[in-house]
Order: sequence, then structure tokens, then C-alpha cells
Amino acid sequence: MSAAGALLDVRGLTVRFGGLVALDGVDVAVAEGETVGVIGPNGSGKTTLFNALTGLYAPAGGEIVFRGRRLAGLEAHAIARLGIARTFQASRLCLDLSVFDNILIGMHAGRRTGLVDFVVRRRRFLGEIRAALERASHLLALFNRDLPSRGFERVGQLPQIDRRRVEICRALAAAPTLLLLDEPSAGMNPEETAELMRDLRIVREEMPGLSVVIIEHDMFVIEGVSQRVVAFNYGRKIAEGSFAAVAAHGEVRAAYLGTEAVGA
Amino acid sequence: MPPLELLLQQALNGVMLGVMYALVAVGFTLFFGVLDVIHFAHGDIFMLGAFAGLTALVGLKAAGLGGSLLALPLTFAAAILVTGVVGVAAERVCVKPLAGTSPLMTLLATLSLGLVIRESVLIFYPRGADPKPFPQLLPQGGFEAGGVAIRYENLAILGIGLAAMVAVDRVIKGTKMGAAIRAVAQDPEAAQMMGVNLDRTVDATFFLGSGLAAVAGILSGLYYSEIHFIMGITGGVIGFSAAAIGGLGNVYGAIVGGLLFGVLQTTAAALIPRGSEFRDVVAFAVVMLFLVFKPSGIFGEKSVERV
Repeated sequence: MSAAGALLDVRGLTVRFGGLVALDGVDVAVAEGETVGVIGPNGSGKTTLFNALTGLYAPAGGEIVFRGRRLAGLEAHAIARLGIARTFQASRLCLDLSVFDNILIGMHAGRRTGLVDFVVRRRRFLGEIRAALERASHLLALFNRDLPSRGFERVGQLPQIDRRRVEICRALAAAPTLLLLDEPSAGMNPEETAELMRDLRIVREEMPGLSVVIIEHDMFVIEGVSQRVVAFNYGRKIAEGSFAAVAAHGEVRAAYLGTEAVGA
Repeated sequence: MPPLELLLQQALNGVMLGVMYALVAVGFTLFFGVLDVIHFAHGDIFMLGAFAGLTALVGLKAAGLGGSLLALPLTFAAAILVTGVVGVAAERVCVKPLAGTSPLMTLLATLSLGLVIRESVLIFYPRGADPKPFPQLLPQGGFEAGGVAIRYENLAILGIGLAAMVAVDRVIKGTKMGAAIRAVAQDPEAAQMMGVNLDRTVDATFFLGSGLAAVAGILSGLYYSEIHFIMGITGGVIGFSAAAIGGLGNVYGAIVGGLLFGVLQTTAAALIPRGSEFRDVVAFAVVMLFLVFKPSGIFGEKSVERV
């Protein structure tokens, strides 16, 4: 696809940790409304890509252009405010806080009332909180109609699948234009994974303009939700295209099955 | 066994002291919560708050406002502003630049800063070596209830201290800034990716914690009717102990720890022969027991492995 009209355009991205090259001149583009799957063995640079995109790592080379803007030098919170939201492979929810509190943190950048409103303009403050809770309830209900009623419970009390939903809601709460999902099916059984795929389709239907990049080990998830697949190995992009094409790619098969299996 | 009235009296006095300790402890625990640091100059920030309050009072008196109803709120506001700004400066000079180095470096830097603050008050405050009488602003007199003497002044100190704690609780639980502080305390990286500005949140935390120390400093001046440039040493150690007992990083733990420490001190004074001489020995012995048997504190999850 042409990179010119892309929402996200990553060119020649290189990330180094000391002598280790975690990402080596990677090009990835994502169009508006597109879902791109990212696959590759452990340590192939998938999460490093997310960490560089969200400003956690400073790239050693290349550039990231998001909505026509170069992200170099921006701090993580500034990048988040431009419209990139993410989830983490191991859930990074605040388990001690309530479901609503977690989602409110996702809305952080959008909150307008400050300390002054809290003290003297209570109506304004409460109005914002009410609107935020309504939005949070709406997002939760998309995935599970019972979740809004558990909004004041601690996240730690929810089952795994609902925690993942809260994490996705927290990311969506910021009203992002690009959603990065880092292995959402990690730690899930097949039934939960099937529910997750249904959830991701709901996201697609409810937010057709949202672009999604999803890292997954589960090939059913990748096949089921992505329109295009990018495969990584040793920090390099080794294949790109439809799921079928990438899955059939020799280097991808070698990376997953071992070179002997393919070379034999 | 001392009479019940004496015990009640001492428990009440303990709660009074405990409220002041708790206000200092909340600062320690907030700083540890957001940055995983122990800010050893915090005791001297507490002392600085007392001196800033005294200076404000002297200034107000010179302006003819010494006896007005505004004197007390203005004194608190001025002292909170001074310690808040110094607290944020301390974080930017002694804590942030050392992020990623050994925690011992932050320990050394904040200890040194405490010394600088203490010596500065000694040298630059007029006759800084002397204990300074602190004006009595609160209503004097009192009444007796069930054999326990209750002074209006003490009730006011208790009320102000509790009001400060409630205010902190509301700010942390209710406001956008509070949400940012809680998010950063749990996971700074994830918080940033939700759009939380880390630097600004850390500044806010240090302003808040240091401002509370100023409130404690003024209350201490009002309670003992005198302040001294070395008061931050004991004040800091007690505040830190209270935060550790409660569980570093937990605001409610710090409050409980502060109250517990105060009550331990005063009841020890009543229960043990020559107890008032041993009150610190008893209280710190309990701190040590906590460190041995429950190092993460009453409510703590993070262990005190950093320093």
C-alpha cells in the first residue's frame, strides 16, 4: 500500500540496546481504519516496535510519522495525546483501583476540570465526572453488558477476560486514532480467545475509522481480525501481505518451524 | 496501672502528636509512591515550614494584621507556598537528575540538602541558633470531660490536622491531579502512555507533600509554643518511621502509622515508670519490631528494598 496517505508511517526504524539491535531499519505503514497484524517469534522486535511508537524508547535511526507529524523527541504522554493508545502484553491495569478509576486514567488527557473546579465549581467538576462515567459504562457495555454494574469494584476481582476488556476500554477511553494491542490473547484459553476475537470485531464495527495494530502469537486471531500481516524476525521485517501470503512465506515458516524443517 | 483518666488523657495527647506526625509521613509516602525515593530532607522541609509560618506571622503583625481572623489562614498559605516551592526544587535538584543511579545517591543528595536547609536557617534566620517562641494564635482555655482535660487549642490543632488529611484524601481520590498521582504510583510507564505528564505529576506530588509538612510545622509551633532549627531531625525520623510502619507508598498507612506512633509515645509515658524519658525509646523499639517482623508495614505492598 502507498505510504503517502498513511495514518502511521514508520521508515527505517532502528532501535538499539547497547550492542543489540532490537529493530533494524523497519518500514511499516498503517492506513486509516486498517487492522494490521504483527507476528514473529519471541524477541523478534514486535513489542520493541510498540515501545518505540509510544515514546518509551528513543530510536537510534529512522523516523515515525503519525498523522503527518514526526514523533521524534516527543515524550510518551505527548504522543498519547496525539492519539496513540495501547495495551500491554502483561496487563498493566492498576489492580487496586476500581474499573472506573482505571478507565478515567485513560481519559486523563481529555479531562478539562482541575483543582479549582474541584473546590469551587463543583457542578462543572461533577458534570465532567458524570459524563466520563457514562462514556466508560458505554465502552464496557460494548463488550459485556454486566461490566458497567461492576464499575466500582476493584479490577483485581474481575476474571481475566474482563480485565483484558477493561484494558481495551482504558485505551479506547482516550478516543485514539491508532490502537496498539500487544498480544491481547496472552494467557487465555480457547473459549476466552474466541470471546476476545468477538470483542475485537465489535471494536471494528463501533469505531470504523480506528486503525489497529495487533501483536499476536495466536494465528487464528491474526487471521480472523487483520487485513494485512507483517512478520518480524531478529528485528527485521521479513514478510508483509495477506495472512495467507505471509503464512506461506518461506522465511516466516523457517522462523516459526526452524530452518531445518524448511530447508530439508 | 495508672488511672484510666490518665491513659485517656495520654491517648488524646498521642492522637494530637500523631496528627502532626501523620502529615509529615504522608509526604514521605507520596514521594516514595510516585518516584520510589525516600526524601530525607523532608524533615527539614517540615522545620522550614514552621519558620516560614513564624516569619509570615511576624510580617502580618508588623502589617497590623497579627490579631485578625485572616492571620492563621495567611500564615498557612505562605508556609505551604514556601515549602511547596522548595520541595519541588529539591526534587528537581536532588531526585530527578539522579534517577537511574543507585538509590544511595538520592539518599545522600537528600540528606545533604536537609543539612543545607538546616544550616541555612541557623545562619540566616535572625539568632537562628535559639529556639523561637511561636505566637499563640488559637483560643486558650479549655474544659474537662470525664477527668480528661481538653484544651481549645488542642482541639483546633486536631481539627486543622484532620481537615488537611481529608483535603489530601479528596484531592487524591477526586481530582485529575490525584488520578495522575495514583496512576504514576502504580505504573509510571503505563500512566505516561495514557497521556499523564510524568514531570508535572511528580512536581505536583512534591508540592502537595511539602505543603503538608508546612501545615505540620506550624501545628507543631502552635502546640509546643516554640520552634527550633533542629526540630526537623526528630520530626523527619518520626515521620519516616510512621510512613514505614503504615507501609511506604500507602497514604492511609502513613496516617495510621503517624497516629500509632503518637499514641505509643504518650501511653508509654503513662505506663512505664519514668516513661516520659523513655517514650522515644519505646516508640522506636516498636518501629524496629515492625521492620523485623512486617517490613512492608501495615498496609504496604512495596517492600522497603530501595534504601
